[in-house]
Amino acid sequence: MTAQFPPPVPEFEQRLLSHEELEAALRDIGARRYHNLHPFHRLLHDGKLSKDQVRAWALNRYYYQAMIPVKDAALLARLPDAQLRRIWRQRIVDHDGDFEGDGGIERWLKLAEGVGFERDYVLSTKGILSATRFSVDAYVHFVSERSLLEAIASSLTEMFSPTIISERVAGMLKNYDFITKETLAYFDKRLTQAPRDADFALDYVKRHATTPEMQRAAMDALTFKCNVLWTQLDALYFAYVAPGMVPPDAWQPGEGLVAENTAQASSAAAAGAPAAFSGSDVPRLPRGVRLRFDEVRNKHVLLAPERTFDLDDNAVAVLKLVDGQNTVSQIARILGQTYDADPAVIEADILPMLAGLAQKRVLER
Amino acid sequence: MNAPTPAPSPAEVIPAPVGLLAELTHRCPLRCPYCSNPLELDRRSAELDTQTWLRVLTEAAGLGVLHVHLSGGEPTARPDIVEITAKCAELGLYSNLITSGVGGALAKLDALYDVGLDHVQLSVQGVDAANAEKIGGLKNAQPQKMQFAARVTELGLPLTLNSVIHRGNIHEVPGFIDLAVKLGAKRLEVAHTQYYGWAYVNRAALMPDKAQVDESIRIVEAARERLKGQLVIDLVVPDYYAKYPKACAGGWGRKLMNVTPQGKVLPCHAAETIPGLEFWYVSDHSLGDIWTKSPAFAAYRGTSWMKEPCRSCERREKDWGGCRCQALALTGDAANTDPACSLSPLHAKMRDLAKEEAAETPPDYIYRSIGTNVQNPLSEKAPL
Repeated sequence: MTAQFPPPVPEFEQRLLSHEELEAALRDIGARRYHNLHPFHRLLHDGKLSKDQVRAWALNRYYYQAMIPVKDAALLARLPDAQLRRIWRQRIVDHDGDFEGDGGIERWLKLAEGVGFERDYVLSTKGILSATRFSVDAYVHFVSERSLLEAIASSLTEMFSPTIISERVAGMLKNYDFITKETLAYFDKRLTQAPRDADFALDYVKRHATTPEMQRAAMDALTFKCNVLWTQLDALYFAYVAPGMVPPDAWQPGEGLVAENTAQASSAAAAGAPAAFSGSDVPRLPRGVRLRFDEVRNKHVLLAPERTFDLDDNAVAVLKLVDGQNTVSQIARILGQTYDADPAVIEADILPMLAGLAQKRVLER
Repeated sequence: MNAPTPAPSPAEVIPAPVGLLAELTHRCPLRCPYCSNPLELDRRSAELDTQTWLRVLTEAAGLGVLHVHLSGGEPTARPDIVEITAKCAELGLYSNLITSGVGGALAKLDALYDVGLDHVQLSVQGVDAANAEKIGGLKNAQPQKMQFAARVTELGLPLTLNSVIHRGNIHEVPGFIDLAVKLGAKRLEVAHTQYYGWAYVNRAALMPDKAQVDESIRIVEAARERLKGQLVIDLVVPDYYAKYPKACAGGWGRKLMNVTPQGKVLPCHAAETIPGLEFWYVSDHSLGDIWTKSPAFAAYRGTSWMKEPCRSCERREKDWGGCRCQALALTGDAANTDPACSLSPLHAKMRDLAKEEAAETPPDYIYRSIGTNVQNPLSEKAPL
């Protein structure tokens, strides 16, 4: 397959853009250069990668995930006022968690473990491609050394990530029998976290890029970040798809995996017949299962026989609409209106979630 | 000018409890030899009154408790069980009735349903009636249990069957699974005996051998696949054959409070076996004060009390050192690593002990009863 590289960003006039024009220009960069357009990503989400190719992706991408809080801490250290720091520090909390076993990095480790890796091997990062390390480190340096405006603008790829995440989740669940919904827990959170993060950063860039030069610097920063992501997929493609040149010391299929029989057992479990739902089904909570707001902990929980399910924001949004009346499609439509998203993508996302709950016998139809 | 109170560091923040095990009474028609109640059982005259239980529930809800396990003994032996359950519903607490299903249980079931009971956990001692009734020490118990289970599912209440597994019924594990399906249970607990309280006294009569345990685990795993979406099976493996210990009660003073019939509040149901701990009573203190301030809850909370190998272990906040009561019973020091852990220097000895006992002819059961003078094994020298 031939890689289709996007055309370069068009030159803008040397005048100050309105906020709307600036946003449109930034979004245009994503529309042309964001890594959902990369051939490797298309292969990934269309289910055309082998298990080892998915493993290579998960392993390399871990380094990016692990360095994100380092990048955000560097940025945080430069923010001059408490209000901004309060907002930005949330990103570090999202990735590092509040305790052992919590947070986005941990969820990515779960994903890597879910595709068969030993945890310690992933943590060591010794099997990643040099290009992965170089790009990610370049990103950390960029954020530490460039202006605050450029540093914040470089995070704006998050504006485009809900699209890629829902494509990825739906595609991977559909196409790879070794990927379970649990394995993809990382993306569950990012679906709601990323838009929140991006809204703030976009607003900041609009308000602080007050000259044509600053606006161009912000656009360049976003382009740079797109390239950081793109380059990582280039390297993966080169090493693990075609021509298949794996550099010395980089991960080779078979390395760093837990004993194959254990991995097979878990994928066999995942492949077992789920209590599948379709769009026309009407889900309901049976007696003995209750969605409740926990005032002490300030969050919703699902109470069920002898157990409590912690819910992420997506699950709460869905379960609030599970009333024994709405069909799955109706729930997806309502959520689509609320979050300004494609109901078909939402439906593809919530079907496995509902099936997972049904399998645990806490949801019926 | 007021000096600001320093905020406690995150390590000092005590998480709110999620579960309350309300042991409403120690009275029970069954006499199971593995009962988790203490050897010295509370008498009826010592039990808390209704008003005190209602207050305890209100305090629990305010504290952050989500699940209340109405247990005993046999909780339906309390005349006020309906009132207590209604209070749970009123407070939004998830009520779980842990019952033997015998005696007056069936007669009260509809009323419990009407006031909002959330879930029923029914104990079954065996599948074959004669075997079940020998273990439970009560004739004609099995038909009562079957009738009770049928009414639970007829009402539309979720039903969990709880089977405690030991050498007297481990051959019936496939039967327990079939029974759960037949009765319409959504959950089945295949819980290998944990050797505290009466089970510790009866350990030689209860301990299965390793091959039997492995076989039971294989059967459960196969059934989980086969019955996916129909029956959830929770498996508690026996400590003596485990690699790592279980986080007792989710970690000491982290998730669970246990209120005894006379109102003593424990971090776990066996905590009274540890000498020197000071337990507080609900008659003297609020539940919140007991949770945050009572010496017994503070004693083994967190990790600062730990010795090696726990202290530097990366699993120390996963299993919290295992079970303090078992550490005491088997090693003589409650602050030692639970010997169920393969990292404990005493683990191999513990396993050998189990193997030896499982290989011998089982002695007769010492049935649980109120007022029997049973030698407390913990007064002997620790056996390892």
